[in-house]
Amino acid sequence: METQEAVFRILRFNPERDEKPHYQTFQVKIDSRMTVLDALENIKHEQDSSLTFRRSCRSGICGSCAMKINRLAKLACKARVKTEADKHGEILVEPMENMPPIRDLVADMGEFWREIERGNPWLVWDESLAGSIKENLLTNQQQQISGKLADCIMCGACFSDCVSRVFDKNFNGPASLAKIHRFVTDPRDKEGVKRVHGLVEMGLWSCTHCYFCWSQCPRDVRPVSAISELRVLSYNSLDPSQGARHVGAFKNSVESSGMLNEATLYLKTMRWNTLRDLGLVLKMATKGKAPSPFPRPIPKIDEVRALFRVAKEIREK
Amino acid sequence: MKYAYYPGCVAKSSAHELYDSTARVAEKLGIELVELVAASCCGAGVINEGDPFLNVVLNARTFAMAENMDLDILTICSTCQGVMRQVKWQLDNDPGLAAKTNEALAKINMRYKGRVKIKHLLWTLIEDYGLSKLEPQVVKPLKGLKVASFYGCYLLRPAEALQFEDQEEPASLERLITILGGEPVHYEGETKCCGFPILFVQRETAFEMAGNYLNNAKQKGADFMVTPCPLCHLSLDTYQMKSSKKIQANINLPVMHLSQMVGLAVGVEPEKLGFSKHMVSMEKVLRVL
Repeated sequence: METQEAVFRILRFNPERDEKPHYQTFQVKIDSRMTVLDALENIKHEQDSSLTFRRSCRSGICGSCAMKINRLAKLACKARVKTEADKHGEILVEPMENMPPIRDLVADMGEFWREIERGNPWLVWDESLAGSIKENLLTNQQQQISGKLADCIMCGACFSDCVSRVFDKNFNGPASLAKIHRFVTDPRDKEGVKRVHGLVEMGLWSCTHCYFCWSQCPRDVRPVSAISELRVLSYNSLDPSQGARHVGAFKNSVESSGMLNEATLYLKTMRWNTLRDLGLVLKMATKGKAPSPFPRPIPKIDEVRALFRVAKEIREK
Repeated sequence: MKYAYYPGCVAKSSAHELYDSTARVAEKLGIELVELVAASCCGAGVINEGDPFLNVVLNARTFAMAENMDLDILTICSTCQGVMRQVKWQLDNDPGLAAKTNEALAKINMRYKGRVKIKHLLWTLIEDYGLSKLEPQVVKPLKGLKVASFYGCYLLRPAEALQFEDQEEPASLERLITILGGEPVHYEGETKCCGFPILFVQRETAFEMAGNYLNNAKQKGADFMVTPCPLCHLSLDTYQMKSSKKIQANINLPVMHLSQMVGLAVGVEPEKLGFSKHMVSMEKVLRVL
C-alpha cells in the first residue's frame, strides 16, 4: 500500500502547565485507509504519550471521539486522513467548540448534557396504554417517523458547530431539540405534542437554519429538519411568540400578493419594537431602499391563492 | 444562454440594486433572462415552518412554469436557490410527495415533470458561461483590492440537495474574484450564517453574528466583502451600523452583491450598479479602480 506523510497541527492544552492553548505539529506516515483516530493513536504511542483525547468503539457508534478536524466537528474514527490531507493540506485538530477545553482534544461536555436534560429526554409513560399487553411496541410506520432521530449517538458534533449557540447561550441546541422531537412523535409518550409548549423558552426560534448540524452529524440525524417540524407544531398550536408571528405574517403576505411584503412582515413581527429601528428605516428611505408596504399582486395570483386553499384542505384532513 | 429568471422578492424590493445590476451584467455578457413574473415567493424556509406542503407546491408551481418554457431557472438569491433546490430534491426522491404535489397543481392546470435545473448566478457563471470566457471581458480589473467572500449557508448546505462544491473548502467565489483581478481574503466566518434568518426574532444574536464575521474580514485586510445573497446583504450592509454598535467596533466594511462586483470588472458604469443604495459607502473601493 502506498504511504505518505501528513502534517498534523494539534491544539494542545494542559491546564496544570499551560496558561493558554497552543498548537503543536506532528508528522505521521499515513496510508489511504488510515483514520484521524488511527493517526492520533500513532502519535500517542510513538511520539508523545501525553496527547489526550477521548475514544472507544472506533466504529462510529459510541460518539466518543468527536473533535474539530479542519475546523468542523467530526468523529475522528470516521474521518479519513487521506481525504482531509487531500482537501486541506495539513490536518488541523482541535477540541469541540461551544464547550470549554479540559485537556488537549478533550472538551467539557457538561453544557451539552445540561441542555439535553433540559428537554426531559425520556418517555413519559401513558398509563392508559397499559393493559393486558406486556409490551407496547411501535408499528414500523410509527418507528420510521422517529427512527432517524433515535439514531443520535450524542457525540456533540452538532452542538459544537451550532452557529447560534456561540452567541446565544439560551438556545438549547440542535441535539436537544432533535431528542425532544423524538418523543413528540412517539405515540406512547403522555406529553406528546404538548412538549412543544415549553420550547419557545428553550430557543425554538433561535435556530438560523445554517445546516451545520445536518452536514456534521455522523449519523445523518438532520436536527435542523426536526427543529423545523417542531416549529410547524408550535405555530399550529397557537404559539404567540415573535417567531410564530413571523411565520404567520410571511404566509399572509404571500397569500395576499404572491410576494414577500418586507414592510408588513417587519411591522407584524416586530410590532412596537419597530420603533427601535426608526432611524435606520428613515435612512433606508432616503436611499430609496425602504420597501413599499403596498406591493402589486403578481400576475395569476389566483393560482397562488388556490394552492393555499388546497394546502389548507390537506392540512385540515 | 437563456434562463427562466427568478430574482426573488428582496431583489425586487429592498435590494433593488441587485435586480438592476444583474440586468446590466446579463446584457453585457449576452445572457438572456426571461423573468418568471408570475412566480410566487419561494417561502424563504419560513413558509415551510407554517405549512411544509404549501412550501412544496408553491415552488413546484414555479418549476412547472420554467419547464413549460423549456428553460432552467437562474436565481440571484442564495436563499431562494437553497429553498428551491431542497424542494426539488424532496420531489425527485419521494414519488409519493411528487404525486400529491401534482394532484394539487392539477387544480391550476399545471404539472411538475422533474426536468428543470435550478442554478445560482454564481454557478451559471462558472459552469455554463465559463470563467475562461469571462476573463477576456474583464476591462476594469479589481486590481489592488482585497475581497472577502461571504458564502453564507444556502450555497453550501445541505450538500445532498445542492451538489455543487465542497462545503468545507468552497472556492467558487475565490476563483471568480481572481479572474476579475481581485485578491481573495480568507477569514473566520465566511461559510457561516449572516444572522438574517433570526434578525426579527433574536436580533441581538443576529447583530453579533454579522458583526463578528464582518470584523474578522476587516481585520484580515479586506477592502470589501461580496455576497451572493440579498438577505445576507441586508444583514451585512443595511444593519451593519447596528452590528458595529453591538460588538463595539467601527467596522465600516462595504459589501457588494455578486452582480455588482462582476459588473464593475466587465465595465458597467459604477453609477448604473446601484451603489448609492448601500448603507456603507462604496466610495473608497471605487476610488481604487
